[in-house]
Amino acid sequence: MPHTITETCNGCGACARVCPASAITGEKKKLHFIDADLCIDCGACGKTCPQSAVLDAGDASCTMIKRSEWPKPEIIIESCIACGICIDACPVGCLVLSERPRKKGVDAFSYLKNPKTCIGCGFCSRECPVDCIMMRKPEKVVAHEA
Amino acid sequence: MSKPYMGKILMVDLSDQTMTPEAIPDRVYEEYLSGMGLGAYILFNRVPAGADPLGPANILGFCSGFLTGTGSLFSGRWTLVGKSPLTGCWGDANCGGTFSPAIKHSGYDAIFFKGISPHPVYLYIKNGKATLKDAAELWGCDAIETEGLLKQQYGPKAAVAVIGPSGEKLSLISGVCSDRGRIAARSGLGAVMGAKKLKAVVLEGVHRIGASDPAAMKRLSRQCLKWVNFPLPLPGGMMANVGTLLRVSPLVFPQDGLLYTSILRKWGTGGMNQTSIEWGDAPLKNWDGSNCDFPTKKSRTLNPDLIKKTEIVKYHCYSCPLGCGGICTSKGKQAHAHKPEYESILALSGLCMNGDLDSVYYLNDLLNRAGMDTISAGATAAFAIECYEKGILTREDTGGLELTWGNTEAVVALIRKMIKREGIGDLLADGTKAAAKKIGKGSIEFAIQAGGQEPAMHDGRNDPGFNVHYCLEPTPGRHTLGAHLYYEMFQLWKRVKGLPKPSPLYTKGSKYKVNREKAQAAAACSKFMSLANGAGMCMFGLFIGAKRIPTFDWLNAASGWTLTPEEYMTIGERIQTLKQAFNIKHGIEPKDNFISARALGKPPQKEGANKGRFVDIEKLAPDYWDQFGWDKATGKPEEETLRRLNII
Ligand code: SF4
Ligand code: SF4
Ligand code: SF4
Repeated sequence: MPHTITETCNGCGACARVCPASAITGEKKKLHFIDADLCIDCGACGKTCPQSAVLDAGDASCTMIKRSEWPKPEIIIESCIACGICIDACPVGCLVLSERPRKKGVDAFSYLKNPKTCIGCGFCSRECPVDCIMMRKPEKVVAHEA
Repeated sequence: MSKPYMGKILMVDLSDQTMTPEAIPDRVYEEYLSGMGLGAYILFNRVPAGADPLGPANILGFCSGFLTGTGSLFSGRWTLVGKSPLTGCWGDANCGGTFSPAIKHSGYDAIFFKGISPHPVYLYIKNGKATLKDAAELWGCDAIETEGLLKQQYGPKAAVAVIGPSGEKLSLISGVCSDRGRIAARSGLGAVMGAKKLKAVVLEGVHRIGASDPAAMKRLSRQCLKWVNFPLPLPGGMMANVGTLLRVSPLVFPQDGLLYTSILRKWGTGGMNQTSIEWGDAPLKNWDGSNCDFPTKKSRTLNPDLIKKTEIVKYHCYSCPLGCGGICTSKGKQAHAHKPEYESILALSGLCMNGDLDSVYYLNDLLNRAGMDTISAGATAAFAIECYEKGILTREDTGGLELTWGNTEAVVALIRKMIKREGIGDLLADGTKAAAKKIGKGSIEFAIQAGGQEPAMHDGRNDPGFNVHYCLEPTPGRHTLGAHLYYEMFQLWKRVKGLPKPSPLYTKGSKYKVNREKAQAAAACSKFMSLANGAGMCMFGLFIGAKRIPTFDWLNAASGWTLTPEEYMTIGERIQTLKQAFNIKHGIEPKDNFISARALGKPPQKEGANKGRFVDIEKLAPDYWDQFGWDKATGKPEEETLRRLNII
């Protein structure tokens, strides 16, 4: 089941800009529409929509979350087998295989190269065969001050 | 329920620049999987008999593996298919990297091209939308440059497959490159792409790939993982001794593939360099020499530890936990290039008697950029050297090159000429058979090929199984389908009923005896690898052994089917038979594909590891064909067989 957009949409276009599958179309200030064949259920639109107009795959209404609070993958490098499955699963291409080895030897590992483009979909974490990716909310800067 | 396949292909007609998505019925996947199987299905039905491989009627297909993207490991390989201009037969080439999942992410299981474009173009697909774009500015650029330019434009996540100048110049030994120097090199399919004036395929999509039971996929993958990290305590210098031991010992035992996977994990394919030379696996001096001509003192320069020293980081194809590849740096031009593979190293060194490792790095990179097959290029150079040494080619013919054994500079200069199709290079750029035809003077004797394709760096006089597959496969000259050794490592008898189990200790001589078990084993390899190529699996993963790598179980968990290993082997058999039927449809006589006499041991070698060895392919062929229900005398699939397999 894909995501859908309800009548409360005011046509701001924020979802269309964030959608990695180019699944959302619509004129400015008009009701937007999600192409069910293209939607990959990454949930980015739901987290972006200020009108809570997006329904997720289970038809539940999504709530807007500040982008800085979207969860991000944390990879346990020591357990990573460099299979690249997460890199391929990532719809925005923000993970890459290292061009440098880990501390010892020549083994590569996967890492989040562009945290800013990550949409927090969790596909990487879901597909990692050794489950070495955890989705975590970025820690607040305040924590450092304490 | 999620399916592992998209159920759709894209058919691009370059002549009128139309693109048609086509739904493929489930039945086709159930009978052929995707990958090579789907490719064979489309090409068998749609390439008209006798079509010119470089003409508009030939179809070139980029096919993703059935298991690619389903959560299985070792399943990131794609198959390039087309009628081969090098052999006139069914042609396929296999490649890893990241292109296989990209095909599925674009929304298709495979993308096919027919016709010829009036001007150079490339195909670009983003999120299901396909467009043909002008490639005038890319035409002439080398493969790595082209990929760089396209990635600059479309971003690093775009997956790119390209031809280099060799494909553009219709060299019959050219391939299709991706991931900065990986190449689907065999069967000369780069020339088909060049003839179609198709410079590149660029894919940018996020279509999700499913599996019927993702949790089971993960569980199976983890079970398999524990076999991958089996450590190998041997240093690189010892690898030659392993080879020597294998050579002198009269008795052998079935080899466990775990040894090979740990070598691959440690060094990559190059780990076998010296072992192979010592043992008699690597052909030397254009298949006329032996380990005596290239002793350890000389092969020292190919010590895998030396290669490992240049490696910065391991390279893994998509979904591979092993990582036999590497990104290397050696001085000068080759900064950040792919680690040369065993095949490339031996074709460019031992086969030409060239002991200079630096030149191998250089040529490897040069050929990857040009998009020319390193095996065929090295083999053709070796052929030219022998012709020169025997006075068939003169200094005048070679444009002043002193083409003598081991003359590194001359080999480098010759291959540069082949890439540019300049002078003698123009003559040689289509491989040994085409060159020998033009040169005449009995040079065909020194063109070591099967059906027109240069065999790989595995000597069938050492492992007769290689000769069986070089000669009898619908894609002649290929080394990744079967061998005596592969059969032992696949350990198929542990999962598939009715297959012979090798005895725990046997004499080397017994490998050459013709009997039913040999034919059964060879046919099982062909069926299994055809299945694997439909699934997109890597042969190196399969070396782990059928009980440890859950190929059949992954297939069931991904598809939701409940087939037995025997039923999966029938799928492999069907793919294999369809490829053979393709050849028959195109007027190929399977017997014409037998490898050159020298490589069969006619006359037998006088010294070295393979002294006195002869492989009687005339005797082996009928039994092998019979295993598939192909006519014992001609190799043509019987009508009854085609019916049984639901092909007609
Ligand atoms: S869920 Fe993701 S793919 Fe689907 S419409 Fe929203 S942003 Fe696009
Ligand atoms: S959560 Fe993972 S897959 Fe999703 S965008 Fe971020 S890095 Fe990519
Ligand atoms: S999927 Fe997991 S094991 Fe594979 S590269 Fe990513 S983090 Fe590493």
